[in-house]
Amino acid sequence: MAVKRHLALALRLLWRDFRAGELHMLLAALVIAVGASSAISLFTDRLQRAMTEQSAELMGADLLLRAPRPVSEHWLMQAEQWGLQQQEALEFPSMVRFGEGLQLSGIKVVAAGYPLRGSLRISDEAYGAERAADGIPPSGEAWVEARLLALLGVAIGERITLGEIELQISQIVAFAPSGGDNFAALAPRLLVNRADLERAGILGAGSRVSYQYLFAGEPAALQRYQGWLKPQLEASHRLVDVREARPNVGAALERAERYLGLGSLAAVLLAGVAIAMAARRYSERHLDVSAMLRCLGAAQRDILMLYLPQWLLLGLLGSTLGLVVGALAQVGLFALLHELLLPVRLPSPGVAPALLSLLTGMVVLLGFALPPILRLREVSALRVLRRELSPLPLRAWLVYGLALAAMSLLITRHTGEPMLTLGVLFGTSFALALLGLFAWFLLRLSRHMRQRVGMAWAYGLGQLWRRPLASVMQILAFGLTLTAMALVVLLRNDLLDSWLQQLPAQAPNHFVVNILPDELSRFADFLQAGQIDNSQLYPLVRGRLSGVNGRMLADVIKPGDNAGGALNRELNLTWSADLPIDNTLLSGTWWREEDRAQPLISLEAKLAERLGVGLGDVLHFNFGAGDELDVRVASLRTVQWDSLRPNFFVIFPPETLANFPSTWMTSFYASAAQAPLMAQMVREFPAVTVIDLGQILAQVRQIMGQVSLAVEYVLIFVLLAGFVVLYTALQTSLGERLHEGALLRTLGASRQQLRSAHLAEFAMLGLLAGLFALIATECIAWLLYVRVFNLPPALHWELGLLLPLGALLIGLAGYWGTRKVVQQSPLRVLQSL
Amino acid sequence: MTMIVTAELVGKQVEMAAGRLIILEEVSFAVVQGEALAIVGASGSGKSTLLGLLAGLDLPSSGRITLAGEDLTALDEDGRARLRGEKVGFVFQNFQLLDGLTALENVMLPLELSGRADARAQAEALLQRVGLGARLTHYPKQLSGGEQQRVAMARAFVTRPAVLFADEPTGNLDTRTGALIIDLLFDLNKEHGTTLILVTHDERLAGLCDHRLRLEAGRIVAEETQA
Repeated sequence: MAVKRHLALALRLLWRDFRAGELHMLLAALVIAVGASSAISLFTDRLQRAMTEQSAELMGADLLLRAPRPVSEHWLMQAEQWGLQQQEALEFPSMVRFGEGLQLSGIKVVAAGYPLRGSLRISDEAYGAERAADGIPPSGEAWVEARLLALLGVAIGERITLGEIELQISQIVAFAPSGGDNFAALAPRLLVNRADLERAGILGAGSRVSYQYLFAGEPAALQRYQGWLKPQLEASHRLVDVREARPNVGAALERAERYLGLGSLAAVLLAGVAIAMAARRYSERHLDVSAMLRCLGAAQRDILMLYLPQWLLLGLLGSTLGLVVGALAQVGLFALLHELLLPVRLPSPGVAPALLSLLTGMVVLLGFALPPILRLREVSALRVLRRELSPLPLRAWLVYGLALAAMSLLITRHTGEPMLTLGVLFGTSFALALLGLFAWFLLRLSRHMRQRVGMAWAYGLGQLWRRPLASVMQILAFGLTLTAMALVVLLRNDLLDSWLQQLPAQAPNHFVVNILPDELSRFADFLQAGQIDNSQLYPLVRGRLSGVNGRMLADVIKPGDNAGGALNRELNLTWSADLPIDNTLLSGTWWREEDRAQPLISLEAKLAERLGVGLGDVLHFNFGAGDELDVRVASLRTVQWDSLRPNFFVIFPPETLANFPSTWMTSFYASAAQAPLMAQMVREFPAVTVIDLGQILAQVRQIMGQVSLAVEYVLIFVLLAGFVVLYTALQTSLGERLHEGALLRTLGASRQQLRSAHLAEFAMLGLLAGLFALIATECIAWLLYVRVFNLPPALHWELGLLLPLGALLIGLAGYWGTRKVVQQSPLRVLQSL
Repeated sequence: MTMIVTAELVGKQVEMAAGRLIILEEVSFAVVQGEALAIVGASGSGKSTLLGLLAGLDLPSSGRITLAGEDLTALDEDGRARLRGEKVGFVFQNFQLLDGLTALENVMLPLELSGRADARAQAEALLQRVGLGARLTHYPKQLSGGEQQRVAMARAFVTRPAVLFADEPTGNLDTRTGALIIDLLFDLNKEHGTTLILVTHDERLAGLCDHRLRLEAGRIVAEETQA
């Protein structure tokens, strides 16, 4: 038979099945699976790209190369050849003079066209209304940070001296992309035009200049350039990709993205269960058709050629519809999140996540539905004479193997860890088998209840026992549905709680650095008088890590690997008698009183990993002016970088660094009402730098609030998928129930008795499913908390609610779903058979 | 005189939990092309099983069956399916129409399966012949039992089969409709020169056939030929 004929017939059969409502649940399940998957992938993809664009604006470029000397012309020409835009900027510290006053400032020299991404933001007066600048400071003018005005006692319009030239202060800089150099962030900044640099004559041979090369362009070209450039970098070079420079809200967002991914996965897997059930029912209902076709001369291959195209088409249709639903849902989600601080224009939805979602649809469909469809070709033609002849039951390895393979693919897509996925899957399969046995045992127990209940209830409970395998499967399916729902709710609450704990309303919103040692006690008194509750005061000593175990640092690390920027710049070193409160000691011991002056350090664990050092290894520090120190790693600890308290890679014992020059820093929370106090602080302690984190904090808090909304969105998909599972399961047994109900009614059973029997049956199913869900949720939650979300595991007593909830939900759904059994006249039902 | 169907010492047994169940035992006979054979007997005598074996829907446990010169026992399932498609038509007690297809599409189906280009014209002609020209686009559920059986007959004859197998073709119909269907069956049989093998309880129907085989407990107990 020609392929065209097959297709035409397949299409006709598909259309008829569709019109008869045979495929509605299947299609619904598929639409939900792809809808959930695509909504979340599109959402996170766009959010990630928006964040990347935002970081590009913070950096002023897509890619930034920093070097202590000008780099090879060849490098820049190559970038140009590959179509990348480029810009050069210089940063260096220099004294600025106004009258008698001198102030160390961070000079940033820029040329027309700077920055490549985003723009400079300026205002006409200190702390005045900001606006985007049209360009850069004209020659002969300087744009300065507001605090320079206070430090020098200078006003806008007045002229300051930089080296050998005078510059007129014409604007206040509210924001300028940062090259990432530390000192520049501390000293007040001053932007000047490249044209003035030569005349100022301030760059001598020994000047500490940071040359910054900014690049922007197409991602592919950038990636190519990065790949080309990296192997040629020297140890002193630093290449920053926007992805590394993502703002600090990263950790919260990353966790939220993981959660959203897992949530959508729950919806997809539930939909898979529904698809498996619907496919089974479809296969049962098409056995006769298949037998008839065999009878009329169709070979096994013909049967396959007839059904596979139908399912492929169904898969495409469902996936496409799902993608439309997902795309709309994602647009809705962004509309809900319009207040999310996404200053950049939102990138349009990506093609890759859309394609991946379509693929997800096909994988779910084939993974869960293929075996029952393959079974259709096995049916014997003799079935046309003897209806009871069914093909051999499906080979279990095929059914479960395919479903497992499909699930592995889907889960790996979200976790990115195939081994973990396999472990989880096999663990889950084993647990399912155990729980299935357990369910069977519970069913047996429920059998004894029959003697103590009325006739209708006894009949209903008896139904469960008469088809033990089907009942156990239903308990597992309903149990999984309840588990997925419970997990999503549970995780949502715990995640939100942990975020809120992490970011209490009074999280530190001000950092103060550069507190001079002789001002320390006066500063502490000032805070106390202002009733400001600060975190510990930490000393800062600037030093550079120069070697490890007698080897030069450059030999230890790979070029381009900067270990979070810690290695190629001066480090903020500190000392402390105690372990900072939110750090956790991973190995080694914290120093005792008698080690106060020993050459020891406590090292942040991730940095230690990248340096390849452990306890007992020796690090070599250089403090400038010939001061050097060898210290031994005494402990490794974790640091909570997003805690908004001062955090340090390296901590020394209290007296080891006593002879090196230090300044002090702290962080605290100040309310809006305390703003005048901040102004007073700057006046009283002109040397200190106050960094206001209020805006960033507000952003983090807002993002968390909004993301929790997104989280609820996922819940909707999971709930929908759960309902489809319920409904499909009911439909599967409806035919048989109709027949039995009609027979019972002809034999004199009242409608009420039948209704009670149904209620009893489903309530018991629900109760057992609830029990199943309770155990499964607790186990999976434990695993997820520990392995994926880094949350402390806990027992959840409130999960006990799953039992009555399951009984109620599934009892009512079953009651409602079987109402047809008593609504149709027994005569009609029996006649139609 | 060409033999279109032969059965030689055909036996069928199934293994049950309670032991071996013998359904057919040493059944031998032959059917001449163009003749009509009725297989009669009480419920459980093995009639339907024999029909299924003769049509190649199942294989015997022992013995040999040929259909249109081909040894069914030597063919695999797909080979038998091909043979069915080429040589055999079926009419069933419960009609066995595909609910999802219209009357016309049901009749077109076997032609489409064998890749015939003129499926629609042939199917329409045959439906006209059985008096359903006005109901081509009706679905089985919209037709009466008698009408459904006429569609089934059109489907059976549309491939011009060498042999038509009928399993209780009037079993689900009232006497009057049954009589009409029987007349139609024999008219078509004559027009197409088809061999007819049917299983029935209906003595009137059996009486119209050239030969009758009477089965009891899986054995042939009588062979009668029309005088």
